[in-house]
Amino acid sequence: MGSEIIVIPAIFLGMPWIIMHYLTKWKQAPKITQEDENLLDEMYNLARRLEERMITVERIVAADHPDFKPGLAAPQPDWQQSVPARAGYSPDRRN
Amino acid sequence: MHSSRTRFYLDKQNAKFKGVCAGIADYTGIEVMWVRIATFLLLITGVGLPWVPIAYVLIAWMAPKKPIDLYVSEADAKFWQGVRSNPKRSATEVRSKFRDVDRRLADIETFYTSRNTSLAHEIDSLR
Repeated sequence: MGSEIIVIPAIFLGMPWIIMHYLTKWKQAPKITQEDENLLDEMYNLARRLEERMITVERIVAADHPDFKPGLAAPQPDWQQSVPARAGYSPDRRN
Repeated sequence: MHSSRTRFYLDKQNAKFKGVCAGIADYTGIEVMWVRIATFLLLITGVGLPWVPIAYVLIAWMAPKKPIDLYVSEADAKFWQGVRSNPKRSATEVRSKFRDVDRRLADIETFYTSRNTSLAHEIDSLR
């Protein structure tokens, strides 16, 4: 009996409220034009291809020169930071 | 010429009935099950009673079907979901990718230039 006091307002007030909240958020969200979309698409694909090439090049260089460690000056991604004492072992040199 | 990836489509490939719920899920990136559960709850509780079915029929009637070749890969679809919710953040992500490549290329450049000077030094010392 007592639970109706909570459930009915939750359904009739809470749910429409949530829906309206997200609808207004969606309407306020910035929209991009078709040209922007094409530009972003090209940039995204370019970045992806460049990254793939970069990985290939890094692999080739690492194979030719064992003393080369990619990303020495770079901030390391989390999975590398978790490896203690990188001196002897680096996961990105595995084949 | 691509068809737009920032507009709403009916997702006929994952459709249960007309593909409206699957389309909403595809557009927003919300799990399709939750969209269906929400629709179902709105229907049976009577909260959205005149409006949900009307909206459903209108969307099913007016929205175009999603082209099958719209996305090349899963990552592609994810990226465009991000663009739809926040284009600025997606642009920033792309920029950070370019910066990452630039930095790694600079590393290789540094490696080669410094290595060649030390090699030249060794050759000099052999003379």
